[in-house]
Amino acid sequence: SICGRREELKDKITVHFINRDGDKLTAKGKPGDSLLDVVVDNNLDIDGFGACEGTLACSTCHLIFEDHIFEKLDAITDEEMDMLDLAYGLTETSRLGCQICLKKSMNDMTVRVPEAVADARQSVDMSKNS
Amino acid sequence: MPFSGRTPAPQHLSCSEGPRIGHWTQDLRCGLTGVSGSHLCNQYGTSGSLPGDKKEFLQNGPDLQDFVSGDLSDKSTWAEYKGNLKREKGERLHLPPWLKTKIPMGKNYNKLKNTLRSLNLHTVCEEARCPNIGECWGGGEYATATATIMLMGDTCTRGCRFCSVKTARNPPPLDPQEPYNTAKAIAEWGLDYVVLTSVDRDDLPDGGAEHFAKTVLHLKERNPKILVECLTPDFRGDLKAVERVAVSGLDVYAHNVETVPALQRKVRDPRANFEQSVRVLKHAKEVQPGVISKTSIMLGLGETDEQIYSTMKLLREADVDCLTLGQYMQPTKRHLKVEEYITPEKFKYWEKVGNDLGFHYTASGPLVRSSYKAGEFFLKNLVEKRKTKAI
Repeated sequence: SICGRREELKDKITVHFINRDGDKLTAKGKPGDSLLDVVVDNNLDIDGFGACEGTLACSTCHLIFEDHIFEKLDAITDEEMDMLDLAYGLTETSRLGCQICLKKSMNDMTVRVPEAVADARQSVDMSKNS
Repeated sequence: MPFSGRTPAPQHLSCSEGPRIGHWTQDLRCGLTGVSGSHLCNQYGTSGSLPGDKKEFLQNGPDLQDFVSGDLSDKSTWAEYKGNLKREKGERLHLPPWLKTKIPMGKNYNKLKNTLRSLNLHTVCEEARCPNIGECWGGGEYATATATIMLMGDTCTRGCRFCSVKTARNPPPLDPQEPYNTAKAIAEWGLDYVVLTSVDRDDLPDGGAEHFAKTVLHLKERNPKILVECLTPDFRGDLKAVERVAVSGLDVYAHNVETVPALQRKVRDPRANFEQSVRVLKHAKEVQPGVISKTSIMLGLGETDEQIYSTMKLLREADVDCLTLGQYMQPTKRHLKVEEYITPEKFKYWEKVGNDLGFHYTASGPLVRSSYKAGEFFLKNLVEKRKTKAI
């Protein structure tokens, strides 16, 4: 019924993603959706995000949260920590997007997609150093 | 050309004769009743209610093959391709014509598929969505079907950003019958050259090395003449595991570096890296002198020509014998976008560079993959070298 639809739309949570190039992408998800679900369902243009499909076997869904949101997130598990440790550009408010599920209190939050590697615009040829 | 909105049942598409749109029928046996558009079953005559000129048009008009296959045979269209080959920000590149392939179908393809399922085996061809599956499984002009068997299941413990193989932290346990079943299946096919590969199994203490080695042993027992290539994981750098596989009796030891050193972190799982992979390749030769080593690089991920060249030099310095270069293609939207489509001509250039650097062979082309025509390249090369007594 139409009433049911209105309720559904009211429950949607808005998330803003700051992409690697600085672009702001805004998307909506339902409570309980993971941030990986939000990215995939909304076809957000974030390169190589969620390669392992949320099975805690990679760190490609690494996201950086605002302090006040980060503090209220569910505690990190050992499995998530193992993979997060391997992520490039780790910060103190980093988590893996596939493990963070939307709550109403997250409405309108902003998350940042960190660089996956050293800035590709550097012209140094890394092959000599590796 | 009218094409009804109904999707035909899959069995129609696997007719070895190929469906013809030109034949209209109200054939009830196929179960597609009341279809007002074209019918894809090729058995019966045209419907009596069409005017004569329409009947003729349908008889002589295009069939499904014309719609499905790209214009592959006409190479002049490649040179004229005006589409963008290098990705701009925010865009997704379109597939250039030289990368379009035919939908796989045919007797050999189906036979292989059935044999694999009945023996509970997996191929990387299917799991990683290889574009050459129709060509390799169908067999070349010598009807030499090639398949690359994926051992240790279809689920990997790593999620690399170029690969669409399924991932899990703890994949299902190994099938202890797999080494035996694999050897049996390969004997059934009468393959002369087989490639065995696997997923990463970081959950196993030896990474699966023992399982790999057993498969090679069984194979060689059943058919001592068969040539075996193993495309292995890096075993997290565990050289004892590398040795276990290298001394099992295989002929070619392959392990892919995947990309240039500068892009390793972006493209591969962080547990993998260039030095570790090169160590694997070097060690295989140390513990089994005479084994042939092989590696593979994907192009189109944003690497520069200088980076490619210096990587090739590093590999040759590590005494890697064979090199394959292919175009990276984005398997799903969760994976890295293609940064650039390298032209067939450029691939030929890299082939020359590889030959000049002294690799035994360099297989280079947009659709070349690590085990693409591996048997043919190897055997052709070996035979030629033996003729000139260069080995």
